Amino acid sequence: MNPLKSKKTLLLLAGPGFIFLLIFFFLPLLYVLIESFQSDVGQFTLRRYYDVISDAQFKLVFIRTLRMALIVTPIAVIVGYPCAYFISKLSAKKKSILTTIIILPLMTSPVARTYAWIVILGKFGIVNATLTALNIFAEPTRLLYTEGAIIVGLLQLFMPILILTVSSSLENVNSEVEEAALSLGSNRIGVFFRVVVPLSFEGLIMGITLVFTGCFTAYVTPAILGGANVLTLSTLMREQALVLMNWEAATVIAVLMIITTLIIYNGIRAFKPRNM
Amino acid sequence: MAYIELKDIDAGYVKGSPILKDFHLEVKRGELISLLGPSGCGKTTTLRTIAGFISPEKGNVIIDKNDVTKYPPNKRNIGLVFQTYALFPHLSVFENVAYGLKRRKVDKKTIEEKVKKVLNLVSLTGFEERLPANLSGGQRQRVALARSLVIEPDLLLLDEPLSNLDAKLRDEMRAELSRLQHKLGITMIYVTHDQIEALSLSSKIIVMNEGNIEQMGTPKEIYEKPATKFVAKFVGFDNILTAKFVECDEKNTAIVSVGENKLKISREQHIDIKSLNEGDEINILFRPEDTRITKDKCENSIQAKLNYANYQGNSSSYALSYNDMEIRAITENIEIQNSKDIYFAISSDKIIIEKK
Amino acid sequence: MKKSKFLIFIVALAVIFLIGPFIIIIVSSFNETAVMKFPPKGFSLQWYQKVFSVDMFKTTFWISLKIGFFATIIALVIGIPVAYLNVRYKYRGKNIVELIFSSPAIIPGLVIGFALLRYFIYVAQVPITVGLFLGHTAILFPYTVRVVSASLRNFDLSVEEAAVSLGSSPIGAFFRVVFPNIQAGVVAAFILAFITSFNNVPISLFLTGPGVSTLPIQMLVYMEYYYDPTISALSSIIIVLTVLIVQAAEKVLGISKYM
Repeated sequence: MNPLKSKKTLLLLAGPGFIFLLIFFFLPLLYVLIESFQSDVGQFTLRRYYDVISDAQFKLVFIRTLRMALIVTPIAVIVGYPCAYFISKLSAKKKSILTTIIILPLMTSPVARTYAWIVILGKFGIVNATLTALNIFAEPTRLLYTEGAIIVGLLQLFMPILILTVSSSLENVNSEVEEAALSLGSNRIGVFFRVVVPLSFEGLIMGITLVFTGCFTAYVTPAILGGANVLTLSTLMREQALVLMNWEAATVIAVLMIITTLIIYNGIRAFKPRNM
Repeated sequence: MAYIELKDIDAGYVKGSPILKDFHLEVKRGELISLLGPSGCGKTTTLRTIAGFISPEKGNVIIDKNDVTKYPPNKRNIGLVFQTYALFPHLSVFENVAYGLKRRKVDKKTIEEKVKKVLNLVSLTGFEERLPANLSGGQRQRVALARSLVIEPDLLLLDEPLSNLDAKLRDEMRAELSRLQHKLGITMIYVTHDQIEALSLSSKIIVMNEGNIEQMGTPKEIYEKPATKFVAKFVGFDNILTAKFVECDEKNTAIVSVGENKLKISREQHIDIKSLNEGDEINILFRPEDTRITKDKCENSIQAKLNYANYQGNSSSYALSYNDMEIRAITENIEIQNSKDIYFAISSDKIIIEKK
Repeated sequence: MKKSKFLIFIVALAVIFLIGPFIIIIVSSFNETAVMKFPPKGFSLQWYQKVFSVDMFKTTFWISLKIGFFATIIALVIGIPVAYLNVRYKYRGKNIVELIFSSPAIIPGLVIGFALLRYFIYVAQVPITVGLFLGHTAILFPYTVRVVSASLRNFDLSVEEAAVSLGSSPIGAFFRVVFPNIQAGVVAAFILAFITSFNNVPISLFLTGPGVSTLPIQMLVYMEYYYDPTISALSSIIIVLTVLIVQAAEKVLGISKYM
């Protein structure tokens, strides 16, 4: 890497992109931010925020969204981490095959991916059919349009993300380091927790950040699997904006979403190990 | 008359201060000079400044009487050979070599002639259609060389071009480079940290340290008459003994004492002798290769204990200790009965005095 | 070894969980009846026929395709120089530049779509298609910059310097020497970005209007009114296409390296 001497180069290379984002990305966001603080007559006010935050439905939805994120993230880590570890030990060819399989839910249209759960969790779906056949349920129960359904859907989307981010940082864990630990007397589980996890911690932090913020802001999964009965922050916002035409509320929710995301992002990253 | 000149250069900023400060360098036409020194000494910075990849904050770069300081690297007509060869991976050997000619808008027929001629020069005829991935390290290096020679540059700059090759190949390529340079008479500046490479290739060596030129001279001068402590240590004066200065006469013969032993040191010029008084603590430096092992006392000998001997074929490496100081001697194989009564000796013109 | 067996078990469970739904939906798309049942009764291709007969699927498919294509091209044209800048040079404010170009990935897509709706469509009166295109392009920047950066990092800077020392201008060197060697990375970026745009819902959600919509949005609309396996069939087509593209990309480009 060389030091950049000419300011002209900087402008030429990053300029167009910067201008594009300024006009078509930052400006609209700024507009929304400003609008959220405006009263009907254009004065600065916090009224809108107060209205939204004190609303019972909003509080319910916000906490529900947080709760789901808090449930999905640990499960994604507990199941995903060992998967990532397993993949990192495979030969290149097998690694590529398994990685392609894992990527699939990420690359598939979210509508298609989530719709599959409608089929599976529906009244006549496979889960109900199996469980009634085994007499665990007396009759087909409502599984869809519940928090549980959303959680399952979110897991299918976010576990691959965690596996991918952890995988890439596991690449940096030399197997010789593990072998050294084994030769010094540690057993396999000890090696995993005392050597592998700390060395790939950075990838784990990144993965947790992506999963948590992703759960918080996901739209399609709660829209399809939660419906209008079980709203999350995203589906609530959409309802306010496009169905109820309540722009003021929608604007506030949008800003709150950004703030929460940024807080989570920087909050979790505070756990990044500073020096290895 | 200087062919290449760096005048008053400030360049190569690291953490706010330049590696080269008020730097001067002159190279005559047709010379093969080496810039020798440890990493960070500024040799690569010097090279890249001549090439144009580093713009000096101050000073001038002059090539063949033209001030090229403001010229970008693509306008300087310089040949560059990199440590990693830097061949264009997607182009064949022919296209790699032809690249510079194409940029100079040479016609197709002439390109073909010139490329074929230079490939012949580096013994790669027949390799025109090969891709770099299908070449060995040595072959790649020769393509890199051909590519920069074919444009008939004013100057050839080489940045540690042989360090990625194995020892035998390195020897061959060194001979090859030398042969080419003599045949074509092209001015070459060669950067290396390997003293053997510098000594065997160059007509002149410039030893650099922390942005300064420690010494500039022929290989013989550098090797036998290092002008500074740094150069001495760099060319292998590895043995260090603490001693006391005794005296020095007008003919530049100095006497020092190592314990009870008195050693005579006679050099044309001592590096560190001004303002030394009798009894001052000094270090004496000498090469393992100049250290002889004798059974009996002789001039400039010191008694020591032998720790071990490593047989190396033609010679052996002996590890000795004198008063807790470690000495190494590389010399002919000797039959040694016991390890106590051993003497090592150094010729009087092969010792250097270093102030403490 | 005990741990290996346990590990394999977990991985197998995970794979079944991640992929199983796809298999189920493909199987259920051949259902004879309209009821969402599994295991399906009978075998019929009627739903596939229905997919191709629904007008709104056809029109929005082309819209999604065109938006995806052009948004990706622009994101590449703008993103490649940025990737080059940040891989080759260090400079003051580099962190800020990197942050700016990855911010579309940090801000929730829903919020971006909403903001574009409020600002461009309502206030600036920009046509919906344009707004849709702009929104998609903006969110693709992080992908194109990141993937092309990965590719550039593996390319030896000396090769570029060699080209310049031989007389090439810096731009000429980029096109003649750098670009041909990062083609795999650029194509990988293209595929990744295109798929991201094609599948996008949050931005498209707010930026649809009369005659302008994307395929995923139309699928959602359809699902609100009809409960038949038509969506299963369409989803199955999408899934199979995705599998083929991802596999091809992995085989030819090793796309998993760039993720």
